[in-house]
Amino acid sequence: MAKQCLWLFCVVFLSFTANSKEYRVVLKNHLFYPAKITIPSNKKVKLLIENQDRTPEEFDSFDLNREKVLYPNRTSVIYIGPLVKGDYEFFGEFSPNTARGVVIVVDEVQHADN
Amino acid sequence: MNFVIRLSTLMSMLACILTPFQAYSDGTVVDKVYHPYVLPFEREFEWRLVSHQTDSGNKLAQRIGVGSAITDTIALEAYVVGERDDYGDFGLAAYELELRWQLIEQGKLWADWGALFEIEKQHTKDIFEATSGFVLEKEFGKTSLTLNAFLVYEWGKDIKNEWETEFRAQYRYRYRAAFQPSIELYMGEDFVGIGPGFIGLQRFNGQKQLKWEAGFITEVSQSEKNHSVRFALEFEF
Repeated sequence: MAKQCLWLFCVVFLSFTANSKEYRVVLKNHLFYPAKITIPSNKKVKLLIENQDRTPEEFDSFDLNREKVLYPNRTSVIYIGPLVKGDYEFFGEFSPNTARGVVIVVDEVQHADN
Repeated sequence: MNFVIRLSTLMSMLACILTPFQAYSDGTVVDKVYHPYVLPFEREFEWRLVSHQTDSGNKLAQRIGVGSAITDTIALEAYVVGERDDYGDFGLAAYELELRWQLIEQGKLWADWGALFEIEKQHTKDIFEATSGFVLEKEFGKTSLTLNAFLVYEWGKDIKNEWETEFRAQYRYRYRAAFQPSIELYMGEDFVGIGPGFIGLQRFNGQKQLKWEAGFITEVSQSEKNHSVRFALEFEF
């Protein structure tokens, strides 16, 4: 029991101290730039999404299991991962036809080569 | 291999949390497993139904609520609760105010945390119930484990003042938005129930979406019959 609690404490503590790599995305005219974001597999990363539009947007992705309101003229932070290799689509709920993108998760070596 | 690691992590986590935990609650434990997330601008109508079938008959409770996010991380919801009494009459039974608080950004830490506070007043009786507790959710790939641990205090002239504890858990597979099968566990005083369930959602324009949940819970700690069916519909707009 004591070992299990110590293990749980360590995992939680490490999660406080781990640094996540940042990826910047801009939302402008209801389009995400870049619309394709390549990240390494099995790593937690931070998406910094700057909404340059005058209206709020809602980042939504069932694949990534994330929903987040993007306030206008503000940068919002979305933590994603660790993820396995694959494509994870996302979209803006208020402009689902234009505000679309995909997070592409690749092997770490492949990611370093890009 | 990944699955084995995930399963062992899940088991360790459950063991850590459940081993020291004994739940005591004589109220209705089967209700809803809360998730620790709040969205700004979130507004919703909610309807819940819980039906308990025991050897002594059927108990039915329904609640209708309306709620809204009041800050980026806090949502407030008010409910009226209707119950079918011993004579088969269905009527107003209680009022409830509920506050959900998302404590940290989703995905930032090892698990996501939230808090829940509720206060309930029985309609015709001098009985109050205050609930507070933690809500935790952890992703394991395409699955999510959600845990609720609540401390409940009941007081009033028509009830013996007492403390209770409740524990709820849901392990779901995020198969697709409309259908996410789950296993649910509920623990209270003299009650341990487990059974399958599912949740799903359909999106419409903007923030509008309809969520549905169902669970079929069987009591496993007592020999007498006690089956519960729960349904919930939430319309967010």
